[in-house]
Amino acid sequence: MSEDVSAPAPPGVVSPTFLRDARRLQRKLVEEYYGELASAEKPRRPVAYMLVGGNLTEILRSFGYDVVFPEIVGLNCAIKHQSLDNILHAESLGYGSDVCGYVKNDLGLQDLGGKTSFGQIPRPDLLVCSFSGCYIYVKWWEALAESYGAPLFMYDVPYMREETPRKEDIDYLVSQLWELVRLLERRTGRAFDLDKLKRVLAESRRAEDGWVDFLRAGRLRPSPIEAYFESIFYMFPINVLRGTAAAADFYGIVNEEVRTRVRDGNYPLPEEKYRVLVEGVPPYTNYRTFWNFFRKWGAVSVVATYPKVGGLFDRGFRHDPSRPFESIAEYSLGAYVNQSWPLRRKIIADYVKEYQADAAIIHGIKSCRSFTAGQGDLRDWLIHDQRVPTLYIESDHQDPRYFAAAQIKNRMDAFFESLEQRRAVAAAAGAATA
Amino acid sequence: MSAIVAGVDIGSTTAKSVVLGEDSRVLGKSLSPVGVDIVKDAERALESALADAHLSRPEVSFITGTGYGRYKVYFGQLVVTEISCHARGANFLFPGTRLVVDIGGQDTKAIRVNEKGEVVDFAMNDKCAAGTGRFLEVCSNALGYDVAEIGLLSLQAKRAVKLTSTCTVFAESEVTSYVSRGKDPKDILAGLHASIANRTLSLMQRVGVEPEITFTGGVSQNQGMVQALHRRLGTPVNVSPLSPYLGALGAALHGRDRFSGGVS
Repeated sequence: MSEDVSAPAPPGVVSPTFLRDARRLQRKLVEEYYGELASAEKPRRPVAYMLVGGNLTEILRSFGYDVVFPEIVGLNCAIKHQSLDNILHAESLGYGSDVCGYVKNDLGLQDLGGKTSFGQIPRPDLLVCSFSGCYIYVKWWEALAESYGAPLFMYDVPYMREETPRKEDIDYLVSQLWELVRLLERRTGRAFDLDKLKRVLAESRRAEDGWVDFLRAGRLRPSPIEAYFESIFYMFPINVLRGTAAAADFYGIVNEEVRTRVRDGNYPLPEEKYRVLVEGVPPYTNYRTFWNFFRKWGAVSVVATYPKVGGLFDRGFRHDPSRPFESIAEYSLGAYVNQSWPLRRKIIADYVKEYQADAAIIHGIKSCRSFTAGQGDLRDWLIHDQRVPTLYIESDHQDPRYFAAAQIKNRMDAFFESLEQRRAVAAAAGAATA
Repeated sequence: MSAIVAGVDIGSTTAKSVVLGEDSRVLGKSLSPVGVDIVKDAERALESALADAHLSRPEVSFITGTGYGRYKVYFGQLVVTEISCHARGANFLFPGTRLVVDIGGQDTKAIRVNEKGEVVDFAMNDKCAAGTGRFLEVCSNALGYDVAEIGLLSLQAKRAVKLTSTCTVFAESEVTSYVSRGKDPKDILAGLHASIANRTLSLMQRVGVEPEITFTGGVSQNQGMVQALHRRLGTPVNVSPLSPYLGALGAALHGRDRFSGGVS
């Protein structure tokens, strides 16, 4: 149990060297995307702001829009340690300490001019509030609409309490999608091109297949991927570039790299001691520190819920060019945070079995009650009903002031110590009976 | 393999050290405040415990560090979190322990343990010192008392006041406001202890309240707190003069396991 301080640090603790070409390519895609958006050298395509959960990327793309997700801008700011200045600026404008960090990062950033180290964030020509699973976002988008004077399209997504979507919910969403199409026709002066939408959806589907192949690699023992810490890099193409050939091709490269890892034995850690399920939004502001808290104990995240905020593709959903509007509606309903707690619990219980997780770590964030409220009950349910050792810790995804490194590390060390102790006792008992 | 072992627990407020003999008897112990030089504090804690045991450093076979400053116990061979150590120490002293309540300088922990003293679950106060020793210290200062005397004074209260603040800073203002309204300080102190007991109970409920309950950490020596917890829980809590040392004691026991090739 615990750490032998005289022993050398396990190899791989400092730098995750298993990340190779895919990570470099992802970085390039992000830079190119924001670079192109900021480019003043050519006529800029119109820009729509959207939210990740239940997003309508394909429809916007079929009309020639570029999409910007302020949440993704926010997490990029946080991981590059740029979010606090934006948040403090938003607080100086009057947004309170309890307001969502995404909201404050975005409003602060835009009020400061929209300049980031990864590019200039353009102003929106249209705001599409696909507020699947989060109701704070309605107010956020209203504030943006007022600030920019941009038109606001509200897309109202019913909450999911049953696994199979109801027909009336699908019909309700499809009717809103047609409203959006009409709005886009008016704004762009173009007629809706169904064939183009189908082509975009076909590319989406190809990317979704590749993304799922990547996620399912976590089922292997040892896992060649980090389903939480690595996946966050690869969420950019599936959410922002979905519907382009570049996104679909990207996952081909990722999966080739994963196959190479297996072939060469180049795993996330030299020894996979614990297979962990992770629930919740990452602490982007201290992402590497948090990852190292896992790595030092030989813990690999083999499955995570957070990468599913943009869609539960690994549960079988695919965009379908033969049912364009219906499948987009189903997609919107299927965002992870839009699922009721019984549905979320079922997903998590299935993951524990499918990915042979030894333990679960829940990271709650102060900013987001939609994601986080109920995680305390989830912890109790996992421990008592599912017999899965579970740790709950809390900080924030945007605001570094909420990341108490010493306290989080202490909890994680104690949690893994207890797992190690149980394993050692079980091994000793097994040896005694053998 | 038997040997003399030691544990050093560097907490947020105090450093504790325990030296255990070959028969796991406590040979020596020490408790001193933590300053800015944690490395020296750790050295000093161990040296004081060794002096108490009439032993010298070479006679100690294995040293384990624990507490927030555990990584500063450079002279040790092992570090273990205080959560595992308090569980182990409580189980050693009170083998029937199923729930450990540790109230230290800036931390409160509820630790559920099994019959072997292994941690089953735990919960801690989050990013806030309300309900900890620091909370008691701030409020006792506001009343002009030494923190060591407020426990017994609280037991003399006639009618405890109700403190509503959940923040140490605001609670201090609330205490001052009660003083200015002429409330008896003993009644204020009783309210203070009751408010900590309430917070602690909610933490305990998160992991499941199951007797026997053992109270560890510096605040366990406060009789008012022991009684307040007893009243709130409806069941007595185990407490001993060694309770503040149980982190260091548990560390020493973990070290013994490691030294003798056991499961730790």
